[in-house]
Amino acid sequence: MTPNRLRPTTPARLLAAAALGAAAAGGAAAQTLTYAMNQDIRSTNPGVNRDGNTDAVAQHMVEGLVGYDAKGVAAPMLARSVQVSPDGRTYTFKLRKGVKFHNGAEMTSADVLWSWNRYMDPRTQWRCTSEFDGRGAVKVEKAEAPDAETFVMVIDKPSALFLATLARFDCGSTAVLHKDSVGADGAWIKPVGTGPFKLEEWRRGEFVTMSRFAAYQPLPGPPNGTVGGKRPLVPTLRFLHVPDAATVKAGLLSGAIDIADIDASQVNELKATGKVSVVSGPTAQMHTIILQTKDPLLASKPLRQAIAAALDTAQIVQAVSDGLGVPNNSVVPSASAYYTAVQKQGFKHDVEKARRLLREAGYKGEPIRMLTNKRPIVPSFEVSVIAQAMLQAVGLNVEIENIEWATQLERYQKGNYQMQSFSYSARLDPALGYEAIVGPKAKQPRKVWDSPQAQALLDKATEVTAPAERQKLFDELHRLQIDEVPIIVLYNNVDFSALARRVKGYAPWFASTPRLWEVSVQ
Amino acid sequence: MLGFTLKRLLTALPTLLLVAVAVFALVRAVPGDPASLMLGDMATEASVADLRAQMGLDQPIVAQFARWLGRVLGGDLGQSIQYAVPVLPLLLERFMVTAAVVVAAVAIAALIAVPAGLLAAWRQGSAWDLGVVATATLLMSIPSFWMGLLLLLGLGLKLGWLPVVGYVSLSADLKAGLVYLVMPVLTLVLVESGVLIRMARAAALEVLRLDYVAHARAKGLPEPLVLARHVLPNAFAPTWTLIGLVLGNLLGGIAVVETVFTLPGLGRLLVGAIFARDYPVIQGCMLFITFVYVMVNLVVDLLYPLFDPRVVAE
Amino acid sequence: MTPPLSQRPRAGAAIGFALVGFFVAAALLGCFWTPHDPLKINILQRMKPPGTAFWLGTDEFGRDVLSRLIAGARNSLLIAVLTVAGAVAAGSLLGLVAGYARGWVDRLLMMLNDALLAFPGILLALGLLAVLGANKYGIVLALALAYLPSVARVVRGSVLSVRAREFVEASRILGNSEAYTAWRHVLPNCIAPLTVLATSMLGWVLLAEGALSFLGLGVPPPEATWGNMLSAARPFIGQAAWLAIFPGLCISLALLGVNLLGDALRDRLDPRMRA
Repeated sequence: MTPNRLRPTTPARLLAAAALGAAAAGGAAAQTLTYAMNQDIRSTNPGVNRDGNTDAVAQHMVEGLVGYDAKGVAAPMLARSVQVSPDGRTYTFKLRKGVKFHNGAEMTSADVLWSWNRYMDPRTQWRCTSEFDGRGAVKVEKAEAPDAETFVMVIDKPSALFLATLARFDCGSTAVLHKDSVGADGAWIKPVGTGPFKLEEWRRGEFVTMSRFAAYQPLPGPPNGTVGGKRPLVPTLRFLHVPDAATVKAGLLSGAIDIADIDASQVNELKATGKVSVVSGPTAQMHTIILQTKDPLLASKPLRQAIAAALDTAQIVQAVSDGLGVPNNSVVPSASAYYTAVQKQGFKHDVEKARRLLREAGYKGEPIRMLTNKRPIVPSFEVSVIAQAMLQAVGLNVEIENIEWATQLERYQKGNYQMQSFSYSARLDPALGYEAIVGPKAKQPRKVWDSPQAQALLDKATEVTAPAERQKLFDELHRLQIDEVPIIVLYNNVDFSALARRVKGYAPWFASTPRLWEVSVQ
Repeated sequence: MLGFTLKRLLTALPTLLLVAVAVFALVRAVPGDPASLMLGDMATEASVADLRAQMGLDQPIVAQFARWLGRVLGGDLGQSIQYAVPVLPLLLERFMVTAAVVVAAVAIAALIAVPAGLLAAWRQGSAWDLGVVATATLLMSIPSFWMGLLLLLGLGLKLGWLPVVGYVSLSADLKAGLVYLVMPVLTLVLVESGVLIRMARAAALEVLRLDYVAHARAKGLPEPLVLARHVLPNAFAPTWTLIGLVLGNLLGGIAVVETVFTLPGLGRLLVGAIFARDYPVIQGCMLFITFVYVMVNLVVDLLYPLFDPRVVAE
Repeated sequence: MTPPLSQRPRAGAAIGFALVGFFVAAALLGCFWTPHDPLKINILQRMKPPGTAFWLGTDEFGRDVLSRLIAGARNSLLIAVLTVAGAVAAGSLLGLVAGYARGWVDRLLMMLNDALLAFPGILLALGLLAVLGANKYGIVLALALAYLPSVARVVRGSVLSVRAREFVEASRILGNSEAYTAWRHVLPNCIAPLTVLATSMLGWVLLAEGALSFLGLGVPPPEATWGNMLSAARPFIGQAAWLAIFPGLCISLALLGVNLLGDALRDRLDPRMRA
């Protein structure tokens, strides 16, 4: 899920928004929770026409069979239990009873089947069709609803990622929708889901408002990712489109905005005003330097190890994140359930060792180009400048090539580069994280780690479901990654959110999406 | 006059077509495409292929062009890939902002430049003339984006008189909207009046030398009347042509001022669309800008005879 | 009847010469020496205001602003000169051919010319940069393409007005080839308006390169040009105003110099076109 950070752009509809808030019935207005988003949503059709903001908004209105818990592990949501057959291919979902849709209808397995068939129909243009039709990790061979509270899916081979993929935000969590969401011709109307809020109005370019779904059936317990406690504590939610960082700040201070994601650079100045509080949390987004192991120079392992040894990860992270980031050389995110002492062992900054390895590699000062871009939402350029200085200090002739993002992305996809300062979107399950970098370059040129050994480990980790076993596999993958250095992970992005004083109960989490349930205003 | 207009519009058609073809091809030749950009690093070979097919990008380029052209002729410029809204209304909305700033700025600049240039020419060689020319030369040497940054720093940040970012549309709130337009317009006024003053002065100098002015003076006509009735209209004519050129140039260069002041104008829309590979918006924008450019030149040429009676539009 | 030459033009020419000379000298100096390394980052010294160690302050990476300005002078002036040279060469050829050929060749070439004129520089710049790789030569190519239509028009105009004149006829009657006639008689007559145009163009290119860099389409960082220094300064304008002031000052003064020189040249070569 690509994070959409604030770009200083325009327009300031804050005056209009504040006016709107005031114009609405006095008491009710005070009870509207307003969240600022930097770009308008693309549609209300989950998993179809989407981007990061669209997914985040959709999460409040719809739910799927499974969701993610606080540690990024797939957990039952609309299913009350999930049973996997011994051969790992048949998933039996027992549905919760008494779950209602926004239109009052009760959810049954017929709705789940209808939703699934709609997603897999190419005319729907679901983003994740290719994940389940055989072109991706699994192929769903059968999906049936033997009785009203049971839904069965059969996949072609065992996979630890099946549930995690179903729960993905960019798939719309494979939400269970009611037929009334579409018209007789199949055209999209609005999401009739089971989530804690229901759609009231989407005024393009301005805001999305939702009202509390009184008949919402929360899972018991405290908030836990997108499962767990999800009670709608405010009568109205408003996702306000405010593309400009300065306007967001003004809104936070004036009270027109209750919650907003902010940049690390704004944290101190906002805290200093005393009018807002700032909360933060680590995410699964990775900022890395990737190396092209097929390049004649970088094919040499000692050279890559030299690069890793020449970089002082702690100092880079300190400099580019204003001291607020935590260094992490592992593909496993630091907030993951699978992050242990093993993953903490990363690269050691050792200049002498780097020089020695360079001699061993027979490096003669050939130029190495590092690609980077200057998008404001990632530290790509800043990382590259500091890394270049460190690498040059040990004698590596690194040149920075600053290009625009679209071109850099294309070169990433084609594998046409030597080094890149690159950021990966959040992938909650470590196997998905490794899957993003491990693969055969002949078929998938974008993969940075083409290693049969790593592939075997990853395949196993994708298959087995027992956490202890997976942990062992991730540990081995990690040690292998540190030794072979196809990629140098630097740190996981830290999210910051500013909250107005009256907001109670909001907490950012690992997946970097806003959760406005279980949040109240005073 | 109608014939002239029609002929001009007809000769503009090949230009429009040429620009359309060139933009269409160039934008697709550039690395990166909207489908993979939208999916970002999450893209898999399969999902990108699916999205490309949905966007019609897997078709041969000639077929894509034919389809697009067909829709354009029917008035449909397609849908923006970034914003998921129809392109034409988006273009018009952004154009209103750009036009408001550009027209206001050029009008004010002209109102200042013509009298100033005229007076400088009338008092050629005096301290006033020197001052005007020096100021004009200085002003035309300052890049608009620097001028904008300085105004932002001075009037916005240091003095706090004007808002530093943001925008309220004039249709939503006239008073608040105007406040946001002050600095961008001021920037452009300062930057463009330099070149306009010099042109007005040069044209006025030309006319002042002419025999019929000496003749009018000899007849005993008071100086102000000589200036107003004889010099001004004739000095204005070449200035008017320059105004047309300036307007045309600004259409292309407005993106920097819009970037400095974060205005939701056409220039920034185009630049943003280029970075996002939003093909429909890039193509629509380019066609639109070319069209406006042609129209501006046409209007300038049509109105020219008003200012220079010696010229008759063919 | 020309008005008497006042003191101003001579002073103007002198100032123009001085300014341009200053920047050319700085650019040349920059090829051999700068106070500090313009690319060297120094995190501990970031965002320092002008002082004794770093005369014009440091930027967000701790790099010396003065050194970067000098390096920027070299880049910006090089791009401007190469672009004008390219535009003049290509545009003259185009204008010559169009003016000479007349008929449908002329009309076709002029239509292409107009289309090129209407094309926004940004798209052209991006296209070429993305294909050629982000560097100076892409900018030169893009800007040369953007400005050659003006050159073509001027040259064509000159050609059209000159070729009808007697000495051209005479040359032809004498049996000289068209090419020779073009070279010896027609082209020299274009020199005056071309020179004036080239000087103005130098200014436009300087400005355009600055604007493109400001938008993120010019010479990419970490290399320094005045335009991209201004662009990088924008987010810090509140805390580090000097980062925005000095590069802009350089562009303005260089432009002023070019404009003043252009005026003086125009006065000498083509007094009718005096502004």
